[in-house]
Amino acid sequence: MTEEMKIKVGFGDTFRELTVRIPDGDIPPYQPGDPLDLVGTSEIRLDAVAKVTGTAEFTYDRQPKGLIYGKILRSPHANANIRSIDVSQARALEGVRAVLTTPDVFEDSTARYAGAEIAAVAADSEAIADEAVRMIEVDYEVLPFCVTIDDSMAEGAPKVGRGNQENVDRVSPRARRRRRGGEINADAEASMVARMKEREKTVDKLFAKSKGVVEGEFRTQVQTHAPLETHGVVCDWDGKNLLCYGSSQATFGFKRELGSSRGPVGAKDVRVICEYVGGGFGSKFSAGREGVLGAMLAREAGKPVRLMLDRKEEQTSAGNRPDSLQKLKMGVAADGTILAYRVRSWGTPGTGTGGAGAHNDGIYNLGEIDKVEYGVRTNCGGARAHRAPGWPQGVFALEQMMDMGAQSVGLDPIEFRKRNDDHPIRTAQYDIAREKIGWDRPRVRGGAATVCRGVGVASNLWFSAGGRGTQVMVRVHKDGQVEVRNGAQDIGTGTRTVMGMVAAEELGLPLARVRTFIGDTRDPQGPGSGGSTTIGSITPAARLAGYVAKQRLLEVVAARKNWPIDQLGLRRGHVTRSGDPVLSFDAACQLMEEDVIEVLESRKANYAGFSDTNAGVQCAEVEVDTETGEVRVIKVVAVADAGKLINPMLAESQVRGGVSQGVGYALLERRIMDSQEGRMVNPNLEMYKLLGAVDCPEIEVVLFDVYNGKSNTSVMGLGEPPIVATAAAVANAVSDAIGVRITEIPITPRKVLEALGRKGSDTGKKGE
Amino acid sequence: MPRKKLESPAEGVSRRTFLKGAGIAAAAVGVSGVDVAGETPSSQESLIVGPGPVPFQLTINGDTRSIEVPPSTTLLDLLRDKLGMTGSKRVCDRGSCGACTVMFDGKIVDSCSILAIDAVGREITTIEGIGTPENLSALQQAFIECDALQCGFCTPAMVVSCTALLNDNAKPTRDEIRAGISGNLCRCGTYINVFEAVEKTSGQGGRDD
Repeated sequence: MTEEMKIKVGFGDTFRELTVRIPDGDIPPYQPGDPLDLVGTSEIRLDAVAKVTGTAEFTYDRQPKGLIYGKILRSPHANANIRSIDVSQARALEGVRAVLTTPDVFEDSTARYAGAEIAAVAADSEAIADEAVRMIEVDYEVLPFCVTIDDSMAEGAPKVGRGNQENVDRVSPRARRRRRGGEINADAEASMVARMKEREKTVDKLFAKSKGVVEGEFRTQVQTHAPLETHGVVCDWDGKNLLCYGSSQATFGFKRELGSSRGPVGAKDVRVICEYVGGGFGSKFSAGREGVLGAMLAREAGKPVRLMLDRKEEQTSAGNRPDSLQKLKMGVAADGTILAYRVRSWGTPGTGTGGAGAHNDGIYNLGEIDKVEYGVRTNCGGARAHRAPGWPQGVFALEQMMDMGAQSVGLDPIEFRKRNDDHPIRTAQYDIAREKIGWDRPRVRGGAATVCRGVGVASNLWFSAGGRGTQVMVRVHKDGQVEVRNGAQDIGTGTRTVMGMVAAEELGLPLARVRTFIGDTRDPQGPGSGGSTTIGSITPAARLAGYVAKQRLLEVVAARKNWPIDQLGLRRGHVTRSGDPVLSFDAACQLMEEDVIEVLESRKANYAGFSDTNAGVQCAEVEVDTETGEVRVIKVVAVADAGKLINPMLAESQVRGGVSQGVGYALLERRIMDSQEGRMVNPNLEMYKLLGAVDCPEIEVVLFDVYNGKSNTSVMGLGEPPIVATAAAVANAVSDAIGVRITEIPITPRKVLEALGRKGSDTGKKGE
Repeated sequence: MPRKKLESPAEGVSRRTFLKGAGIAAAAVGVSGVDVAGETPSSQESLIVGPGPVPFQLTINGDTRSIEVPPSTTLLDLLRDKLGMTGSKRVCDRGSCGACTVMFDGKIVDSCSILAIDAVGREITTIEGIGTPENLSALQQAFIECDALQCGFCTPAMVVSCTALLNDNAKPTRDEIRAGISGNLCRCGTYINVFEAVEKTSGQGGRDD
């Protein structure tokens, strides 16, 4: 049963009424003008003290009694079959407590990239574990390999895949597959190919009608997540039950994985604890082979084992964002309307093809779209979801096409975007970004001087209202203590804090009065930190649990004091009667007959809401030295929508973080593979370059407070959206500064100088 | 601008002399206060310490601690694994990220790249010696108020580097702050918040909300 009601949705001073069906048992969303004491304020993080004092216990810091150390032997070969493994010497080494091999554990006798797991040991010290790993003798059948997208796509390239898997495989549009082996249903494929041909023709006709037609070829690099805390676990067994401290962004995912009866660990009962995690960015949803090996080593050794990857392993084997090669074409009508858009793109997520896609056909109204994309297998460490998977690479290319399209019909880039955008929130954001970056200020640009400046714009889009499947427990104790509990993790976004805020708001308490518990699978079910949906999934359940606990407490007060319940509320540490404080919260709790009011509430389904997506616009200003080729990002303006803002300071931090990673992606980061040996050349933090303090630009964040109405907190997550647009905005700014387009990131000094060298002798692609 | 770093100790055992050849100079051991139990060195070249545990003393956060570890143990591993001081983090283990930053006589060093035995005679300050949850330093308080932390893994070392910076320079400019923490990587992107926290501590504003 659902309740139909009218709510106000919108932002700024423009709201409209919307009739929504509130799910049974839920409460209506925050409304403009609601008297809120906590929600919307910049409360400091509940875990800030632990983090600034170094007392926060990360997985890496766990030291259960009797701890021993795990270490993985990895393949030095980019493609090999394992003929045999001799672990006898390692096993005989004093201090070695357990040895496992991947053919035994995973029934996998292949090593398909340099860094693939071969065996693992646990020993009394890290030094002994290292020595034992060196003593393992492996007989490999070494095979030819491809480690770059170009090598793999070349004619006659060595086969990366198994069985009948091709190196290059269409991932969209995709004919129905008969089964996982990759065999294609011939009929479905034939009709798909026919439809693709039809679409190609339609789009060609529209290109012919277009006033401006522009084409471009873009490349993006492989980016590693590089969380500062590496992947890994500390595992401890109690009989058949496993206690796993995991560096995780999905505590319940780890639990399922390690507890699955079909998995190699198959623990009877698994408890995963992750109170703090040193960054994930999408790479820590799965316990991975390292987690499985850690758990199994601990079982075999009969002692707690710490198996944390070292930095080289982290950079090689713990995930990345696939690279891309994108060939795009756009047709624009004289009035600036985009008529047609063609995409052919390729990306390599490692030895498989999943997650290869680039989101280069979203955000704007792009007319008729003809898109075909391919995954390319390479003998490289596999991709994992990476902060806005597929988006930064796709938008990097799309947004340059938008600039080129604007130029082809003589329109200002921002005006051109507005003409092809009807997002209810983003359309209000462009002019703010334009003004804040000083878009129209005169600049020395176009490569006309030694130091030139330029500005660029790009947009983002996200889908982060969250959804069902999360429960939050609120306990109000007779002594006045309040607990708020959920078993999911806080990966640094502030989940713990905002969960406490919305519950405390209902109970009329300051945030410091509630104790929040997070990151333990003994507590109620919570989401993985993915799709920026954590806050949107947890806060509605937390608010509802707080609300129900409040009602239960007020019922007690009403009965004991003989006050009419409809006059009662909770605010600022007191029970209020007709708005006036009449009883302290603690005194109210004393009236309880039981020791505790315990409430467990679930996240209900989303309502219709104002917008299913959250929007953003970013503008970057760069300075380019045309003699050295160095690009400096001076400033980024990020206009962002996170639905209803629970905590503006934490929201701003998310945006600053996303932009910072985006600047690094645009200018610095790149996994480099050696085509001769097939290994990653820069699996460290000095050759794999992250953005540092010196290069960090000024970042001005403008937050929209949108009463979205998708759930009772109206909140939209903000972890991923800000990283989507940054590299694109920077690239557009660079081309504005030097008057020539750079179509490949990272934008290194060499690429800038090469581009400047091409300028004049080569007018570039049509429309440039 | 490079961050200010201690190149090598002016006296005592340096990593270079330690690694040179098979042994360690006994005089150097004597100077730095390493007491190799039961042996009275008579010749500078004759004494070899390790590979087994060696007893020595370190001054950490003002306390003198008796240590007995193999001489191959880094200061970071000693702090974390033997002394349970896990605020300093191991991230790159080769001196490129700064997550293990501690102070030697007030100057910042990467504890992953220094042998524990080389820290003899130094005043070592770790994050645990800068403030506690009950007794935060002004800078730590500013970090909290400016939200100069996200996942928190780089944060303790950031605090150490900024503390050292402020000890040297009570009112650093934004560029001096950038240079001061240029050896500390943060993957979450808290740099601006860190700048603001340092500025707030030094009475130069900081964030307003």
